[in-house]
Amino acid sequence: MTTGTHSETPAAPLLSVHAIEKAFPGVRALSGVSFDTARGEVHALLGENGAGKSTLIKIVSGVFPPDRGEVLVDGRPVDLARPDDARRAGIATIYQELLLFPELTVAENIFMGHAPRAGLRRIDWRAMHEKTNALLASLEIHDLQADRIVGSLSVGNRQRVEILRALSQDARILIMDEPTAALTEYDVTRLFDIVRKLKARGVAVIYISHRLDEIFAIADRVTVLRDGAHVATRRVADTDAAELVQLMVGRRIESLFPKITVPIGKPVLEVKDLERRPLTRRVSLTVRAGEIVGLAGLVGSGRSELAQTIFGVTPADNGEIRITGQKIDIRSPAQARSLGVAYVPEDRGTQGLVRPMTVRENFSLAALGKVAFGGFIDRAAERKLAGDGVKRFAVKTSSLEQIAGKLSGGNQQKIVLGKWLANGPKLLILDEPTRGIDVGAKAEIHRLMGELAAQGLAILMISSELPEVLGMSDRVLVMREGRIVAEFSREEATQESIGAAMMGSHGNAEKAA
Amino acid sequence: MSEIPLPQAAKRVVPWWLLRHETMLAMILLIALIVLGGFNNRFLTLDNLLNQGRLTTEVGLIALPMTFIIITGGIDLSVGSIVGLCAILLGYSWKIFGLPLPLAICFSLLVGAAAGFLNGIVITKVKVPPLIMTIATLALYRGLAEGISQARSVRGYPEWFYFVGQENLFGVPAQLWLLLIAIVVAAIVLDRTTFGRTLYAIGNNETAARFSGLPVDRVKLIVYTLSGLMAGLSACVLVSRVTTTRSDMGIGYELDVIAAVVLGGTSIFGGVGTIWGTVVGLAMIQLLKNGLALTGVKGDATIVVIGTVLIFSTLVASSLQRRREGV
Repeated sequence: MTTGTHSETPAAPLLSVHAIEKAFPGVRALSGVSFDTARGEVHALLGENGAGKSTLIKIVSGVFPPDRGEVLVDGRPVDLARPDDARRAGIATIYQELLLFPELTVAENIFMGHAPRAGLRRIDWRAMHEKTNALLASLEIHDLQADRIVGSLSVGNRQRVEILRALSQDARILIMDEPTAALTEYDVTRLFDIVRKLKARGVAVIYISHRLDEIFAIADRVTVLRDGAHVATRRVADTDAAELVQLMVGRRIESLFPKITVPIGKPVLEVKDLERRPLTRRVSLTVRAGEIVGLAGLVGSGRSELAQTIFGVTPADNGEIRITGQKIDIRSPAQARSLGVAYVPEDRGTQGLVRPMTVRENFSLAALGKVAFGGFIDRAAERKLAGDGVKRFAVKTSSLEQIAGKLSGGNQQKIVLGKWLANGPKLLILDEPTRGIDVGAKAEIHRLMGELAAQGLAILMISSELPEVLGMSDRVLVMREGRIVAEFSREEATQESIGAAMMGSHGNAEKAA
Repeated sequence: MSEIPLPQAAKRVVPWWLLRHETMLAMILLIALIVLGGFNNRFLTLDNLLNQGRLTTEVGLIALPMTFIIITGGIDLSVGSIVGLCAILLGYSWKIFGLPLPLAICFSLLVGAAAGFLNGIVITKVKVPPLIMTIATLALYRGLAEGISQARSVRGYPEWFYFVGQENLFGVPAQLWLLLIAIVVAAIVLDRTTFGRTLYAIGNNETAARFSGLPVDRVKLIVYTLSGLMAGLSACVLVSRVTTTRSDMGIGYELDVIAAVVLGGTSIFGGVGTIWGTVVGLAMIQLLKNGLALTGVKGDATIVVIGTVLIFSTLVASSLQRRREGV
């Protein structure tokens, strides 16, 4: 059931996936998905979280079998019962979390499990190093040595080791699952160089990413999945970002940043000369009711540290904090919470959500006081609280008793946001509120932020995404090396001015997006 | 965009409660009881079972707070030594310092709580891992007990003191009432209160619990203190049952206690566990010991059987876990 938009492929398909169906208890993950890719083609897979991309690549890499449908390599059906079968068929997968042995060397990692052997099945170390050097040379990687310990490498270099590992096993089909999620700009450029070299060699690359600009930079064709179904396959040259977003979300997103202008009220948070060395240095700022203040800065500039000092995780050494005019010394998150401060942390998995617990338990975690009487939890009140949250934030979950960690990133983020709003805070600090979540969920969170501000909530938003900062903020503050170095009104703020302030006077404005 | 349909929950072939670790363990226990009862007609008698309840109370009282601690991802290895220290101080404060016995009991409970508080304060404030801190106090508290007692024992307590340890109340061993009340309270606290919820949250993700404004350190301090207090109570019950005080009392209790808790399905990594599981675990260990002894199995063989049961139940638990996760 492929769509009619199939254009002819450059050659006979190297890999083709035909009418794959897969269901998990309670969820239909894939229903009749087909796509194919040819030698030397970069084929992007696009879709929101939960659209079925991960399930599809897990089937192709032999993690679990499909319920129906087949996978063909070189036109012949292959049985991919185990990851080893996929490897033998020439399919290699590079997952988001790299699967390397940090204590071992580059060469040992590349040849783990298939090391060249000398007599008596001894490992032939010399051959292993020579082969590693040959692989490095073939991709023109000069800053990586075969005997380096992998744990000491940058994320970009570790990823290169994984790619080399795949090539050492003669992979002809390389699947990359959001390879740029953790990379710096520079590493992304280098990754693209490598992908182009692989392409020239005839390797087929299946490339999964949320970032549309990358797809236009590197892919030949793109297949969009939505709710487990194949929506469309397009040549990248024949489409544009607006069309892809629409295909992905299934509706037009009128405006990516639905900023509503609301009357701005009295100051809710006033911070004066706040200090907590080394990353919070004499910081002063004000956030008023109904106002969204964006906090921009490079990674490591002290934005999250400032937020955590205000929230009482790492109490301040010096300076003062006023909440609605009252001077308060915040020593713990519990105290901050009781003062009406909410903090949605940067790292959803370790700071925001208790992943093994249920949706219900996560929703009530920061608001146990609201559903408990004399220390006893009122189960009915708790279910109501969680049920209301699920409805209000349109969390896609099979039930309130679902384990929160099994939901998609966007839905997890909605729960973290919801659990804090259940307390009715006055000040909401959002730390990278839309990192790693898909376009649809992102738009919903932005819309929600606008609504909350309209209801008189004061919002301090930390974000590394300049379009988000520009789109959502009434005012923008820029941090560098623990200090606030610039302030822009909504009218003054531009990518260039913020970028220049982030980098310091000598740096260049970094273009985001 | 609120009209996104919620997918139907999966149809379950087997009801969820049947797949629970506690239920499976209870069934294994039942089978073991029937088999052992078949071998020996003295085993499945009310008298014998009640007597086993009497014998398991001392370990049981400590196993309840230990369940709390292990759910938070911690451990308390010093409980056996606290039992020894409290027993000695009970005897000495009464006999040597001349405190009235009720006051001596209070004093020994207080010492137990203080010993647990010390564990808790170092674990939460100095951030010493619980395993290391309580191994240290395992040695420390036992050393204190031996130093104070100088290998002398205390006996000759007044007759009323033996009531808890040796008499019956409404036909049930007196200390068993204590244990039953403690079980019910612990189960309610764990299942129904914000305190219990906080324990699970800490065990599953301490950072997120902290970021959610839960009083993580205070709750941990309370459970370690509680553990010491219950070890003190256990010491008093033990002295009352065996009528004498010696410094080697409670040696090895920590392992019996942890075995019962873990056998009952509480995850040693934290975040998972119930009081009911611990109760079934306790019953299982005590009844296996007794049943095997009555059937004529020697002591060392009994330990082998208990070890095997522990491994077996862990296998069952992990296969259930996999099944629940649908892998």
